[in-house]
Amino acid sequence: MIETLLALCALPGVSGWEDAVRDYLMEQALPYADKIETDPMGNLMVFRSGKKHDKTLMLCAHMDEVGVIITGITAEGYLKFDFVGGIDRRVVIGKSVFIGDDTIPGIIGIKAHHLSRGDKNVPAVHEMSIDIGAKTREEAETMIALGDVGTFEPTCTRMGGLLCAKAIDDRLGCAVLLKLLEHQPPCDTWFVFTVQEEVGTRGASTAVYHICPDAALVVEGTTASDLPGVPGHKTICKMGAGAVLPFMDRGTLYDRGLRQMLISLAERHSIPWQTKQMIAGGTDASVIQRSLSGIPVVGIAAPLRNIHSPASTGCVTDFTAVCRLTELFMEEYAQEK
Amino acid sequence: MKAQTRLETLSALSGPSGSEDSVRAFLIEQLKPLCDEVRTDAMGNLVALRCGTAPKRYKLLLDAHMDEVGFIVTGIENGFLRFAPLGGIDARVLPATRVRVLTGEPLFGVIDTMPPHALKAEDMEQAVPMDDLVIDIGMTQEEAEANVPLGAVAVYDTRLIRLQNGRLAGKCFDDRACVEIILQTLEAVQNDASDVDIYCMFSTQEELGMRGASAGVYGIEPDMALVLDVTHAKTPDAQSIDLMDLSGGPAIGVGPNMTRRISDALIQIAKEENIPYQLEVMSGSSGTNAWPIQIARGGVATGMLSLPLRYMHTPGEVIDLVDVDATVRLATAFVRKLGEVWA
Repeated sequence: MIETLLALCALPGVSGWEDAVRDYLMEQALPYADKIETDPMGNLMVFRSGKKHDKTLMLCAHMDEVGVIITGITAEGYLKFDFVGGIDRRVVIGKSVFIGDDTIPGIIGIKAHHLSRGDKNVPAVHEMSIDIGAKTREEAETMIALGDVGTFEPTCTRMGGLLCAKAIDDRLGCAVLLKLLEHQPPCDTWFVFTVQEEVGTRGASTAVYHICPDAALVVEGTTASDLPGVPGHKTICKMGAGAVLPFMDRGTLYDRGLRQMLISLAERHSIPWQTKQMIAGGTDASVIQRSLSGIPVVGIAAPLRNIHSPASTGCVTDFTAVCRLTELFMEEYAQEK
Repeated sequence: MKAQTRLETLSALSGPSGSEDSVRAFLIEQLKPLCDEVRTDAMGNLVALRCGTAPKRYKLLLDAHMDEVGFIVTGIENGFLRFAPLGGIDARVLPATRVRVLTGEPLFGVIDTMPPHALKAEDMEQAVPMDDLVIDIGMTQEEAEANVPLGAVAVYDTRLIRLQNGRLAGKCFDDRACVEIILQTLEAVQNDASDVDIYCMFSTQEELGMRGASAGVYGIEPDMALVLDVTHAKTPDAQSIDLMDLSGGPAIGVGPNMTRRISDALIQIAKEENIPYQLEVMSGSSGTNAWPIQIARGGVATGMLSLPLRYMHTPGEVIDLVDVDATVRLATAFVRKLGEVWA
């Protein structure tokens, strides 16, 4: 699963431009799928018939990642941009981005510290520029169009027990779903890879309409800020402390019954788990629960530091816990009367 | 080794101030076939001599510094590394920056940042002070203590990226690009019957206040010196008229830190050879090794050639290979014509 995750993280897939991720997932899913569908939004929905057919489970992970979108080109050939999805602008300064289908490389530069005279203010996004080395607007226009999107550095690095890469949120979820697709599920299951989660859980809404599941489990990455000097109540969750089973975030109150099922499974199988200690963030569950005439939703997440940055990190043992607990849930959910 | 590949290697090597060892080891191998003598002094400066053949010869020093800006580990807290900067680093470039910690086996790390969820809006308008930042190496306290001694150093972990027009983005072109320029200059004059003895000094600890060069130049005792370093090129957020243009050719330093005769000679030679150049006027210290070198022993006639560079001391410095080539040509012509213009 880790190799798959690294391959997935390296692919570009800014919200609305998930094509490369979808192509990869489709190819990987093909040997196992009973049915593969896409919809006008671009969601990828893979069905695998279960050992039982009395109910249908939806497993959900989003393909898209945060990135930049080009909004202008200056006379000197620099690119102006905005963020797609929620990015803290402090993390992009001095970083590289790769733009468009030809992955044109560029740098989001900042003037030398010698020239900024101790300025501590973080420039606004509209004050930043991407330097692709072009000398004029005309030259830049031969390779960049307004509306082109860019991703962060695609290199993945191992750091002790951690992985460091862009887009672990939510290629981790995609990797988990792919892994679980390899075996026949206990009940009929849709493995759903959604688009546009990062711009407001847009894709999940139409995916649910197509597949009408009885319940949904969202596999996600979630923010950890367990850093030195951060008071306990602001750490949210801890890396290496296991799968996160949230009770609530800014979009969803997770189904209590299903969440209790997850907790019991984790306890019974000695899988490390924790919960989120701050009502923050949101997932595709927020729209799934309100779709059709309402669907019970539950979530499993892996804690990630520096989420939505060029260098998010996650812990391999947490990934394993998320994957194993998801697998156990599929079994238990199928058996439940 | 091809010049561009070599520059890529030089940029990838880790050599923060005081820990220039891997750069030095690489350069010793590069210099052996080009020089008559290669030595290292007590400050770690690497000095290579290429002797001329004429009976009367000048002693010319070519200087570029080996060190780069980086970090030094000052403490370990819950497995995270506290650090101080080595050289001038803007804390605003650090959140989510990847670094390499130079222990036996290099360790990869990331400078962690607090997520917006846990911050107040006004906290995000300001740079996080460097002493509040940590390097995450994915270790527990015990593991980190066993693997990372206090005083261990780190550098940016950036891949070199090829931009348009032969421009490159990467770490520490300050001053490895000028190290490469000296190597190419040495190669260019390899078969010359020269009237100069060329002393190449690849100096240490420039980023901490030109510490290596002041000792190095004393040991060499040159007649004249040409210091090669980088200078600020205009960027979208820095357009002042006294900044250089990227791709505009090497900047010839003018001002009290540069001996007027050398500056004039560089200008004259650039004109004769049709090499594009810019003038960089500095009213006081150049902020480079030219400052200590000029007043070493009884004084050294000193000139400066600077390579224009954008976003200095960040993980993504940008240079243009056109400027590298022009600087090599001007430095080479200077070496060849020095005897003639100085006589």
